[in-house]
Amino acid sequence: MKLSKRTVWSAAVAVSATFTTGYVMADGHTADVYEPYAGTTLVVNFPAHPHYNAVLEVLDDFTDETGIEVEVDQLQYLKMRERQTLELTKDEGDYDLIAYVVFSKADYVYADQLENLAKYFMNPKLANPAYDAEDLIDGYVQNIGVAGGKKGYLPGPTGSLFGIPFGSETSVLAYRKDIFEKHGIAVPENYDQLLEVACQIPEVEEGMGGMASRAASGHQASHAFLLHLAPLGGRVFDDEWNPTINNEAGVAAANALKTIVDCGPEGSQTFGPAEAAASFKQGNAAMFMDSIAFAAGFEDPSQSTVAGKVGYALHPEGVRRGSQTGGFGIAIPRNAQNKEAAFLLMQWLTSKEGDLKVAMAGGNPSRFSTYENAELNEKFPYSATFGEALKYADPDWRPIIPTWGKINADIGTTMSQVLTEGLDPQEALDGVAERARAIMDEAGYYTWQ
Amino acid sequence: MSIARANRMTPYLFLAPAGLVLLIALFYPICYMIYASFLDWNPSQRIGEADWVGIRNYVKLFSDDAFRESMWVTIKFAAVVVTLEMIIGVGLALLLDRNIRGMSVLRTLFILPMMIAPIVVGLMWRYMYHPTVGIFNQTLTSWGFEPIPWLSDGSWAFASIIIADVWQWTPFIFILSLAALQSLPSSAIEASKIDGATGWQQIIYIKLPLMLPVLIVTLLLRLIDSFKVLEVILVMTNGGPGLSTEILSIRINRTASEFRELGEAAAMSNLLLIVLLILTFAMFIYNKAQELRAQRLRAAAEDTE
Repeated sequence: MKLSKRTVWSAAVAVSATFTTGYVMADGHTADVYEPYAGTTLVVNFPAHPHYNAVLEVLDDFTDETGIEVEVDQLQYLKMRERQTLELTKDEGDYDLIAYVVFSKADYVYADQLENLAKYFMNPKLANPAYDAEDLIDGYVQNIGVAGGKKGYLPGPTGSLFGIPFGSETSVLAYRKDIFEKHGIAVPENYDQLLEVACQIPEVEEGMGGMASRAASGHQASHAFLLHLAPLGGRVFDDEWNPTINNEAGVAAANALKTIVDCGPEGSQTFGPAEAAASFKQGNAAMFMDSIAFAAGFEDPSQSTVAGKVGYALHPEGVRRGSQTGGFGIAIPRNAQNKEAAFLLMQWLTSKEGDLKVAMAGGNPSRFSTYENAELNEKFPYSATFGEALKYADPDWRPIIPTWGKINADIGTTMSQVLTEGLDPQEALDGVAERARAIMDEAGYYTWQ
Repeated sequence: MSIARANRMTPYLFLAPAGLVLLIALFYPICYMIYASFLDWNPSQRIGEADWVGIRNYVKLFSDDAFRESMWVTIKFAAVVVTLEMIIGVGLALLLDRNIRGMSVLRTLFILPMMIAPIVVGLMWRYMYHPTVGIFNQTLTSWGFEPIPWLSDGSWAFASIIIADVWQWTPFIFILSLAALQSLPSSAIEASKIDGATGWQQIIYIKLPLMLPVLIVTLLLRLIDSFKVLEVILVMTNGGPGLSTEILSIRINRTASEFRELGEAAAMSNLLLIVLLILTFAMFIYNKAQELRAQRLRAAAEDTE
């Protein structure tokens, strides 16, 4: 903690000012825990993402309450990782708190670059007894925060907590209520219905695609494929790390994606998530199945022509229910310079009050209680559906292991070939499985076999 | 005595700062890259923690289908792009090598594409190629044609990035060849006119041969550049669909940031560097040969006098 006498004094003045205005936190606990840290400036790295845009709106409240200043470095979410990797390998990092994409968890924890949060939650001066960690959405905590459990990335007795989910997402099906009603189409509940409706729409509604989906070569195509793999009963690896991506379920998922893209709006093959969402917003597609983070944009009349016409349903069921788990968590880098103050910010943001504030500003809740909040449901009527969807959020829909970047890219490029060059799905996935096995072998995953 | 020595040292002293800069700014990074290409190094590690793996990265590259594919795409791209640009660029220069009113304005207009930042060029073309709202497909559909899958079909995407690159870099060849044309000796051209050469004959037998040294240098410069092109394609297709537009520099970029294999990325960069070095040497040798030939011809001419 680097605090000069002057900053402590000015902080004390700031805190006493807070007291004289009679401010008391909502849970009845006063702001004096923040006193030693007032005047500190935290540097945080957040993605440019609807959730974190909402966070920016409430950060001032944090500074008002605690006297801790926050400086935000916002980056495009796929660019964050490069930057963070550089920062985390330095002796003294510039970031005190980072938001990380869920698949970075494996790399950062494996390279020992994130603080284990146990010592902060054990510290009575820092940990808020009213935090109520049970209220955090368990699927997210396990998927995004915990590392070291089963297979290294799944929940299990050997896991421990390195981050807290914040801006986490699952997948839901967004559909055009007006179009479905006009043609008497029922909202799809399983995959057969989904694929049928996806190809029925372009026939009955001139110029409209069935479902807008991401499909661009690389990460996007892989993401889209995996979105269907879990509900259709597939997994990338079995419990012994043997690739199972090329089994029947894998082929079914690839075919599902191909059907969706073929019946989708013009040019679907190159859509990233933003383009797919834009296509839905402009009324060029009747369905959109992706992260809940896009919903706020659909309902915003200044950027969407379909505001108010969108219904939300659970991710359809294949042989099981399995919506994605993804998005971001926040963690404290090992080389951070203001770790304790960073923990206080982390705790404040993910507390019941913080989570609700961010959600009211358009963010994605990380807590069950936020989803049940009446005020929020009134402002965003879809919140209840999203809360329901979370019960089926599947933490194992994609493996979060250090070799994933390479395998993910390979799945994405190969899937793009299936979508655009007519490569046979079985042949494509056999190739992926073979290359994945070689990558896993090289990384030592078969050492114990 | 010591003054004489100091005098001898003077040129070296003056050269030293430049040499030092060269050493730090050029040789150090290159040696670092060569060293890194023998390591199994991921970005979460410091370079000291990376394992030495010998030539494994290189061996892996040559047995990697995706890398071979990307090398092939790069060669194909460079060959097509440079050929088209040379033909159009030189053609335009021949057409515009005359006194037209407002020529200087026209020339500025022609080289405009070259001055636009590559990212902007990429974005611009990406929007123009957009499947529904892009200008190309809108025009096509309004004329009653089928829309073209510009960026969503492998072969079309490859054609699309070629069109964009030709648009951006033809002006480069155009201004260089125009400059070459305007500095041609007017005596030769006048002589050919007197001998009754037609316009085509002038171009084929007089202008082009005289321009050749400049054209060769231009060609090699463009060739080297086209092997390294990154931003425009990155923005337009990011290498997709499939691997159809994944040129080597995109592959290197992905290997470093997505696959997190800095060693392999360094090995690829070294291979690219070797290819470019060969091209540069070819240019150098050609220049030398030209000079020697010119000298010989001059000497022969002097002898006969």
